[in-house]
Amino acid sequence: MSNPLDWFGRREALLAVACLAAVLLFSFLSPYFFNAENLSAVLSNSVELLLVGLGMTLLLGVGGIDVSVGVAMGLAAIAVGRLLQAGVTPAVAGLAGPVAGLLIGVGTGSVVVFGRIPAIVATLGLYGVYRAGIYLCLGGDWLSGLPIGLTELVGTGIAGVPLAFPIVALTYLALYVALRRTPFGPHLLAIGDSEAKARLSGVSVNRTQLLAFIISGGLTGLAASFYVATYRNVEMTIGGTLALEAIAAVVLGGTSVIGGRVSLIGTVLGVLLLRLLQNGLLLSGVPSLWQTVVTGLLLLFVLGIEAVQGRLSLTMLMRSKSGRLASRVAQ
Amino acid sequence: MLKTSKLLLLSVALLAATASFATAADAKKKVAFVPQLIGIPYFDAMKAGGTEAATKFGVEFIYTGPVDANPVDQLQIVQNLVNQGVDAVSVSVLDASSIAPVVEAAKAKHVTLFTSDSDAPKSGRAVYVAQATDEGLGFMIIDEMVKRVGPDAKIGIVSGEATASNLNAWIGFMQARVKDKYPKLKLLAPQFAGGTAQRAAQLATDIMAANPDLKGIIGVASSTCPGVAQAIETAGKIGKVIGTGYCSPNTARAYLKSGAFAYTVLWDPAELGYLTVWAGKQLIDGKPFEATATPEGMSHPVTYDAKTGILLLGEPAVFTAQNVDNYHF
Repeated sequence: MSNPLDWFGRREALLAVACLAAVLLFSFLSPYFFNAENLSAVLSNSVELLLVGLGMTLLLGVGGIDVSVGVAMGLAAIAVGRLLQAGVTPAVAGLAGPVAGLLIGVGTGSVVVFGRIPAIVATLGLYGVYRAGIYLCLGGDWLSGLPIGLTELVGTGIAGVPLAFPIVALTYLALYVALRRTPFGPHLLAIGDSEAKARLSGVSVNRTQLLAFIISGGLTGLAASFYVATYRNVEMTIGGTLALEAIAAVVLGGTSVIGGRVSLIGTVLGVLLLRLLQNGLLLSGVPSLWQTVVTGLLLLFVLGIEAVQGRLSLTMLMRSKSGRLASRVAQ
Repeated sequence: MLKTSKLLLLSVALLAATASFATAADAKKKVAFVPQLIGIPYFDAMKAGGTEAATKFGVEFIYTGPVDANPVDQLQIVQNLVNQGVDAVSVSVLDASSIAPVVEAAKAKHVTLFTSDSDAPKSGRAVYVAQATDEGLGFMIIDEMVKRVGPDAKIGIVSGEATASNLNAWIGFMQARVKDKYPKLKLLAPQFAGGTAQRAAQLATDIMAANPDLKGIIGVASSTCPGVAQAIETAGKIGKVIGTGYCSPNTARAYLKSGAFAYTVLWDPAELGYLTVWAGKQLIDGKPFEATATPEGMSHPVTYDAKTGILLLGEPAVFTAQNVDNYHF
């Protein structure tokens, strides 16, 4: 049995091959695909999904989920946008995103952890609450054409490298260290594998779960700052599909949808594959309606493989989680 | 419960106020407009236009509506206005299926009920004051595009939800216009962004990458406008690719000024509000609508179709960097 924290396993290799295959295929299908301009557009379109996806990786790993991340990003984006409008320095406005995100993470996490409500139910409810919050904050009037300061700050970055790259890399590194070198990682997986057993083993379940929600919230808020920097706009419908896309990318990446296995690099590859497909299919002349069909089928295919390989069987989904292999918890 | 009692209290207070007012102002006729929700720039603009018309035509204008676009609340407000005996009540209908009984009740009380901005065609309403036709909107955006890029160009379309019937109708009329009048214009198949600016920007970026000879992009849903404009700015294609869409001046202002958008097409809600109050006055006075007429204070004629009962504001308005600052919705 492979180590649940394996940083590059069979799934990751498969995804890397899939990304390469997609690049080759689309280079062949469209003369406009393989060039620096287009590929860097794909990368910069991936930033928010990468950040939110990395947070979602922890949540799925701990056996939770958060379907409200898109609207949570919307709320944080409103904070950033309003500060920009008020003429606050771009750096401060940019920091307001993660701060707002952390606060929302505390809120969401508290409802799930202390309310003892299943994460999917709680976050569905919060989705409605946050959506209404966006509506109340914007009052039907979008923030658009926001001051360009934050855009310039993020775009110029450090020594000409757009700020997104070091920030995503640092985020990845920090999460990697937290999962591999601190008790947070093993605790997270133990809870994801079996909450009851983890509790019996003396793992602080509440604290770990809450921490996962707070980290995810902070990353969602960070994504909000990038969103505002990129689009200089907060629309009423912001983040509508973000949660589903993030969950799809994370599951594609090999993180178990029922907890107990996480793969950060898998999430990164999953996001890249999704964005490469969306970009490549359009460039090859496939109508955008079919793009969602392709990504949906891909997801079913991957989950199908898992079921065949026995990693995720129907009985496993239905059976009490405590019956699962204890070796996955070992760390 | 609290809401109902508050409403009741409010209506009693209103009733008292209007009653005392009526005796003082010697039965000045009252025209009401109930928007879908209050406090948003679009309906604020309609209110401003309505107030202007009310002063001009010597009627009292009542503007009241729900705070959260809730059809039940809206119906209650309309009912209250009818019970108060306001002479004409216009509604931007939220739920077309539930308004018919109120129209009946209004008739019994000799109150004229009509629709404006959003219709309920089978409700028995007196008239529908319409902002623009789908045909007008579809044709106008193509005509304005051809003025800027010529009749021999490639144009991309980024729409919102693939299921939105109004957006699809506009796209249909765009395609019809191209087919009839500009056969050399190449209109790419629409891409659907759902509701987010992020996806719209992604699609617009990809369309520009796939079509280096692209001359213009149309953002059909207003939620796609910021994304399309931002994509043009980010790609450094201002002036090379003409951006446009059906979006309000507030949404498009920054992009019209940066040049990413050359123009946007919509209607002027202030004019719509003006026309609504004028129509209310006509109805109270029992004057029939003529097929074409120019109401006092308006710069262009409006048309009336007796068969459908639609009073049409006219051609959609075109907003550009030059005129955008005159509008605030």
